[in-house]
Amino acid sequence: MTNCEWREKIGLYVDGELEPRDEQAVAGHLPSCTDCASAVLEQQALKKAVRVAGKRFTAPPDLYASVQKQMQPKKTTGLWLKVSALAASAALLAAIAFAWIARPSTSNATVSQLIDQHVIMLASVNPVDVVSSDKHTVKPWFQGKLPFTFNPPELATGSPFALVGGKLVYSQHAPGAELVYQVRQHKISVFIFQARDVHGEPSAGNQTFVVNGWQQGGLQYYIVTDASREDADRLRTLLEDANRS
Amino acid sequence: MAATVVTRGKVSGLENKDFERLAIPLLDGLYNFARWLCSDPDEARDLVQETFLKSLKGFSSFREGTNFKAWMFRILRNTFLTSRTGLERRNTQQEDEEGFEESSVSQETPEIALIRRADTELVQAAIAQLAPAFQEVILLADLEEMKYQEIAEALAIPMGTVMSRLARARKQVREHIVLTLGGKRTVGVK
Repeated sequence: MTNCEWREKIGLYVDGELEPRDEQAVAGHLPSCTDCASAVLEQQALKKAVRVAGKRFTAPPDLYASVQKQMQPKKTTGLWLKVSALAASAALLAAIAFAWIARPSTSNATVSQLIDQHVIMLASVNPVDVVSSDKHTVKPWFQGKLPFTFNPPELATGSPFALVGGKLVYSQHAPGAELVYQVRQHKISVFIFQARDVHGEPSAGNQTFVVNGWQQGGLQYYIVTDASREDADRLRTLLEDANRS
Repeated sequence: MAATVVTRGKVSGLENKDFERLAIPLLDGLYNFARWLCSDPDEARDLVQETFLKSLKGFSSFREGTNFKAWMFRILRNTFLTSRTGLERRNTQQEDEEGFEESSVSQETPEIALIRRADTELVQAAIAQLAPAFQEVILLADLEEMKYQEIAEALAIPMGTVMSRLARARKQVREHIVLTLGGKRTVGVK
């Protein structure tokens, strides 16, 4: 057994656990001490052998899948979601009823799609892709996602409307924006697409949903909500003013 | 109106995404470690899944600056220790730690050659015969290349214990190899 003062530091040296000053000292000592040099070589050989042999098992591919699946946000069964689900069910029934009632007066497939989209939004755990009450956050979020731009209205302090956020939607294979507003306990979806020939200015309503559509500046706007027609008209005015060139 | 800017991810899982980004690369290492601890593949699999579940749940309390890898291994190990196999092993571990005597490592160069000659199977057998307390330390140090401090965090033991267990583990691995390849010759303890 050697009496070398560094011998007990060899393990730390090989593991890179020494302070830089000590590490340099050991490194400087090794060329002149066969015992310590042998110990370093042995430790290194042992470490290498353990590193190679220790990697014995590989996680099965389906374990990755299982773990990733369990990391996905769960459809929790919290009170809020239960209420949402209940509301969504009611809204879905209402939408079906509306579609049936509205069919004779408006056969516009786009409107039906947008009502569906509105109901999906109501039922969704993530109703919007960008959550913000600030139009200066929501508008830029759509940049690069849509081939057009628009101006969400500036909502004055005390306005009954509040911007909830926005999301990207598709209708008839065309991308569009869905802005979601809150007015009291109601949600309002504002859909904005590039205007097409087929899009008219549907305006429909019944006891459940109000649909308010118009074209402006080459864009097609739709408001879909279960709030009142007056609320829809008021929001329409705000949007029209904001996008007047 | 005061703007509240929260991305969708923040609301429904930015934390989860961060967790996924950090944790998934560790899965293979965690599984390997779990297999060494459990032996049984199904048990190891359950252990890893439970570890991910627990750590995901606890991720909100994960403090920035804490070593994530050490944290994950610690959860896995704690989960293992509270399992039936873990409780059985824990007793073994305590017994094995008793009577530990520090001894110096031989400097005989022929042993270095023997260690280098050792094939993977032999080294695996050498690791497998270690008591769990030593096995986990040597795996975290040499395979996972964790620093002593990280190992101490992962195993919730003092750093001095990490060092002594590591020295003991290496000594036993070395002895197993040398005895197997070098015959019955006495090794290591002078």
